[in-house]
Order: sequence, then structure tokens, then C-alpha cells
Amino acid sequence: MGNPLLVFWHRLFVPRDDEDEQQDVELWAHPGHPSGGAGPGMGVAGLQPATTGAIFLVLRRMRVPLIVLVLVFSISVLGLTLIPGQQPDGGTRPMGFFEAFYFMTYTATTIGFGEIPNALTTAQRMWVTVSIFVAVIGWAYAIGSMLAMLQDRTFRREVNAQRFARRVRRMPEPFLVMLGYGEAGARVAAGLDARARRLVVVDRSQERIDALELAALRADVPALAANTRQPSTLLAAGLAHPRCEGVLALTDDDEANLAVVQTAHLLRSGLPVLARVESPAMRARMAPFGQPTVVDPFDAFGDRLRLILRTPALAQLFDWLVSPPGAPVPPRIVPPGVGRWVVVGHSRTVAEVSADLRASGVEVIEVDPASPQAPAPQEPAFADLVAGSVGLVAAADRDTQNVAYVEAGLRANEAAFVVARQESAANAALFAALAPDLLLVPSEVVAREVLERLANPALWDFLLAARGQGDAWAADLLRRLVAACGEGSPTVWQVRLDAESAPALARRLAVQDVLLGALLPSPFGRAERLPLVALMLARGGAQLLVPQDDELLRAGDVLLVAGGRGAQRGWDATLGDDEALGYVLSGSSLALSWWGRRLLKPRT
Amino acid sequence: MNLEKVIFGFFVVLAATLNFGFVIGAIDNPALHNPYELFAAIVVNLIATILKFGDRTQLGAVHLATSLVASLQLIAAGISWVLVAQNGVTGGEMASVVSLAAGALLANVVSVVLLIAETISFQRR
Repeated sequence: MGNPLLVFWHRLFVPRDDEDEQQDVELWAHPGHPSGGAGPGMGVAGLQPATTGAIFLVLRRMRVPLIVLVLVFSISVLGLTLIPGQQPDGGTRPMGFFEAFYFMTYTATTIGFGEIPNALTTAQRMWVTVSIFVAVIGWAYAIGSMLAMLQDRTFRREVNAQRFARRVRRMPEPFLVMLGYGEAGARVAAGLDARARRLVVVDRSQERIDALELAALRADVPALAANTRQPSTLLAAGLAHPRCEGVLALTDDDEANLAVVQTAHLLRSGLPVLARVESPAMRARMAPFGQPTVVDPFDAFGDRLRLILRTPALAQLFDWLVSPPGAPVPPRIVPPGVGRWVVVGHSRTVAEVSADLRASGVEVIEVDPASPQAPAPQEPAFADLVAGSVGLVAAADRDTQNVAYVEAGLRANEAAFVVARQESAANAALFAALAPDLLLVPSEVVAREVLERLANPALWDFLLAARGQGDAWAADLLRRLVAACGEGSPTVWQVRLDAESAPALARRLAVQDVLLGALLPSPFGRAERLPLVALMLARGGAQLLVPQDDELLRAGDVLLVAGGRGAQRGWDATLGDDEALGYVLSGSSLALSWWGRRLLKPRT
Repeated sequence: MNLEKVIFGFFVVLAATLNFGFVIGAIDNPALHNPYELFAAIVVNLIATILKFGDRTQLGAVHLATSLVASLQLIAAGISWVLVAQNGVTGGEMASVVSLAAGALLANVVSVVLLIAETISFQRR
């Protein structure tokens, strides 16, 4: 948007909610990141992508057909105004310009009203015959060129790019820019969409963009097939847009992700960036560009496997909290008892898993399919290995290898606990037929980690803090949550106990002590408790996990709470409404007058 | 020499000269303004406008704008002439037709000036 008039128009009429944006940026947990968002002033407006003109392309290509049309038409009209015609009064006079123009208009376009106003003379008819042939060919040529151009690939791409940029410019809500719509990208997009987050998607391949259009997401997702490495693509996707709240680089190409990280940092520093990275070297190269959050599929795979095998209840709790509101409690995986494990896979993928298993005092045998000494799945040596073990992890790079190892392992030892890694979504049916005890799909693991960080920034802090907790703690919390909030997964939100977001409580805290438990009766009837559990209390720099009911609240505390259906409404009433708060704390109603009772009566 | 530039310059200048030829003469005397010249001016102006399509430079945009103005004014002049010519043209009516065409002439002059400016700046480079 180099045109100053457009900049002015943009600044004048496109509303900006800078405060909201700022808040979102801060909410996004981003350790080691200065939270100063880019000042959305002239700098950002100046970064708008240059609009590429499909219309210019049309006009440029239509020059010759249009000129041919104008020439044919004007020569025919000119001829008619020169050739004498018969008049009803017996005289001879050529047609006027307008009459000739009118005649040619309906004749050349094959509408053919006939010879009006007067029957033509032979000389006129000869001229009109020639004119018709030439004019019809001229029209056919012009219309043909136009249609050919609409089919043209360059033109269509141009039109698509423009439509995409326009839709991004008009995004009404904060959105994330996602580069790369592969298997992990598709899962992340579906997960974010289920949580009502807006997205803009760019992928290199048109096929994947077509897949996105068929994915039936709830929100309208602008999508474009373009080279994600080019800064202009990022700008068109809304990098400089004031409502852009983050960039996700999820392509399977580390270089491309690095390019995205660099562009985002240099053009809009301070914007949260999350990048998928496979090599540690690339991770180090990304770090100087604003310390982006990185997700490593190998790390994520190892972490996830370790979490599930070591603390299955914690994994179950996390899965439940991260799933969209209302989802049922996922089943808890029961890992096998003490014994030997066989771990198949490239050393990089499985190093963490085997190290961790060894650390818990378990014997681990690593089988690297790439090494020539390793036993092949069909060899008896492998069957012997599995027969004497309690568990098998098949985490080779290729699905065919994993299928072979799992199949051989199950044949050798039916009771073994089998973990299979499934690389491609296309092979889901194969793995379902094998029915391993635990199936890990790397793209799903990456998507889960991205969603954990993005879906609810407040929840991410809790997940980080809870990672150190034991399995018994997780099982206990899960029981409490199910008892309080019901079987459907709760909504998690955070509230700061200050005059702005909890005005009634802040006023009350200034004059008296309030215990956390005292706030939990429902404002719609004190006999009931709100279906709500406090997950975390942040005070100053300290975090208290799952505060008890006798915890004394102070002004300025930040509470992270999980609540079932209707909990948020009741909780907001308690914190924000003096009458409701007084009722919850003491059981007596504050409102004295009839009008007061009518106005302040809590809706049930 | 670029053939495209020759054709472009030819039509831009021809549009201006035809327009000038039509406008010159006492403004209210129909005998001094030839309808065929107005017709030719309209056609050549339309062609000049089409030739300027699709140029994305700043100069190209102004070129197109001037040509659009000229074409619109000439077409307006043509329409008003067709309307008033049905029952004899009076001096006042003729004056309004010619003044519309004179407005178009101004736009055409700007167009020619732009063409010259473009040519000169190209020489210097």
C-alpha cells in the first residue's frame, strides 16, 4: 500500500483494537520473549503487501481484441453514414451517426431488428453484408479472447492471490497465520477451529489447499497455494495485519520454516512465532530471530512416549484438559510391569525413550533397522528378543518396517505391550488391524504440542507446572475434576482478581478476608456448588498448583479455573456483582427495594 | 525504434489533432464543426484509451486517466449532438457540444505533454 491515499483510508476506516491485540500477545505464554508487540502505526501500515493486478493483466491482454472491435465498428458505422439511403419522402439521404450506430449495434451482435427506420437500398445492403461478416468475427474474437483469459492459469492464480489478500485484509477477528498444511497442519487447523480461533493458511501445494477447502472447518479460512519462503507471501497472509496474533511455521522443510521465522522477526518483531524444526542445528539458527518457540517432532515423540509410559494418569489428564470442551475422558493406558524392552528405531528418534526407560531401571535393547547387524523382523533372533521382553516400541522411520516389526513382535509374544509409530495417515487402516497397545502418529504428536501451547495460553502454564507432578496427584485431580465438572472436558479460563475483571470481589477483598472455598457456592442457589475447580493460583512470581478451599485470596491474584457447563456464567456473576457475591458469602440478599430485587435477581 | 511506441505516439497525437480540428472555429456556428471529425476523434480517442490499458506505472496511470476523461467528454459531445441534431441545431446548442469537445481537447493536450515528458526523460537516461 504505497499510495498515501490508501494508507489514509486504511488508518481512518479500518478499526484497530490495539489493546486487545496487546493483551493477546501477552497471554500467549512465551518464555524469554519480550512481550512488546509491534507498534501498529505507520510502520505496519507501510508493510501492507503490494496488490498485484489481475485487472491489469486483463486489460493488457484485451488491448488488441478491443481495438479490433472499435475499428470494425467505427468503419461500419462510418460507411453507413456515407452511403445514401431512400427516404419515405422520395429523397435520398445517408443515415445519421446515431441511426447508423444503432443499426450496427443490433446487427453486429446478431440481434437483428431488421431494416429500420427505412428499407435499405442495394448499396447499403452490400455494405451491411460485408460489415456483418467482419463485425461478427470481431465480436467472436473479443469474446473468445476474454474467455480464454479467464481459463488462463496465470490469470486465475492472480485472481486467487488477490481474493486471498482481500479476505485477509478484512479478517474481523484476531487470527493466526499458518504456513504448511500437511498432516500436522491439518490437525492443528481442525483443533484451533474447534476452539473458535481464526486462521489464515498458506501451503506450497494446491492439492493441500483444495483438501483444506474440503475439510469443512466452521470458520471461513482464507487459504492460498504459494511459496511460503517469500516475504511477500507472508505479507499477503497478514503478517503486518494489526489483528495477526502469531505465525505458525509447520512445513516439513526446516529451511522454509527458518525463512518464515526470519521474515516474521525482521518485519514484525515481537510477534509470537512457533516453528516446527527437525534438526538441532536449524533450531540454533532460528534462535537469534526473536527466540521462536520450536516444536521438534522427534523430541515431541520421545516426550509423549515417556509421559505416557511413566505417568499414564498425567498424560490422561493433559489429554482431557487440552481436548475441546465437552469431550469425554480418554482411556488411561496401562503400561506393562517391570521387564525388558525392545526399542526399534533410528537412534535419534528413540534415544530419549530408551534413556528414560533405562533411567527407571529397565533393561533396554535398541534395534536400529538401518544397521546391518540388527535382526530383521522375520529372523528368529528378533522373535527371541521380543519373547523375553515385556514391551516393544516400533518407531522406525517407515510404516512398512513398523508394521513388520509389530506383526513379528505380536507373533512372538502376544502379551507384550506394543507401541507403534505410524508415519502416514494413509496407513491408518493397517495399524488399526494390528491393534497395538499404543499408536503414536508423529504429525498428531506435533499437532498436540502446538495445540497445547496455542489453544489456551493460560492452560499452557499449568501444563508446564504440572509436568513435574506424580501420577497419583494427576489421578486425584482427574477424579476431583470429574466429580465437580462432569464427564465432559471442562472449559479452562483465567481471571485476575482486580477491579477490572472482578470488581465486586476486589471491593470485598479490600475490607475482609475471603477464602477460595467461600466463592464456590452457586449464586443461583447456595445449596449447589459451582461445577468449578481452581487449577492454579499465581501470586507475584509464585505458582500454587490446585489451591485448596482454605486458601486466602488477595487482590491481584491470578486464578486459573476449570469449569463445566454454566460454571463461567455463575463465576462471573459472583466476581462481578455485589449482590451475588454477598449472597454467595453470607446467604443474605443485599437488595432491599422491590426494584433492586427485580434488577439484581440472578437469572436462573 | 520501438514499433509499439510509434503506434502509441501516433494515436495519442492523432486523438489530440482531430479533437483540435473539430473544436477550432466559432463556437456557436454549426457550419464550422464537421460531425465526421467528431466521429473520428471519438474513435481514435477510444483506441488511444485501449492502448493505455494495463500499464502499471504512475505515468501510465495518469495517461490512462487523461484518455478516459477525453473519451468521456467526446462521447458526451457526440450524444448531445445526436440529441440536438434531430430538429436543427441552434447556436447555443452547438456551443455546448463544442465546449464539451474543448474540455476533451484539454485532456488530450495533457496526454500529449505526458508523452513528451516521458520521451524526454527516457532520452536522458
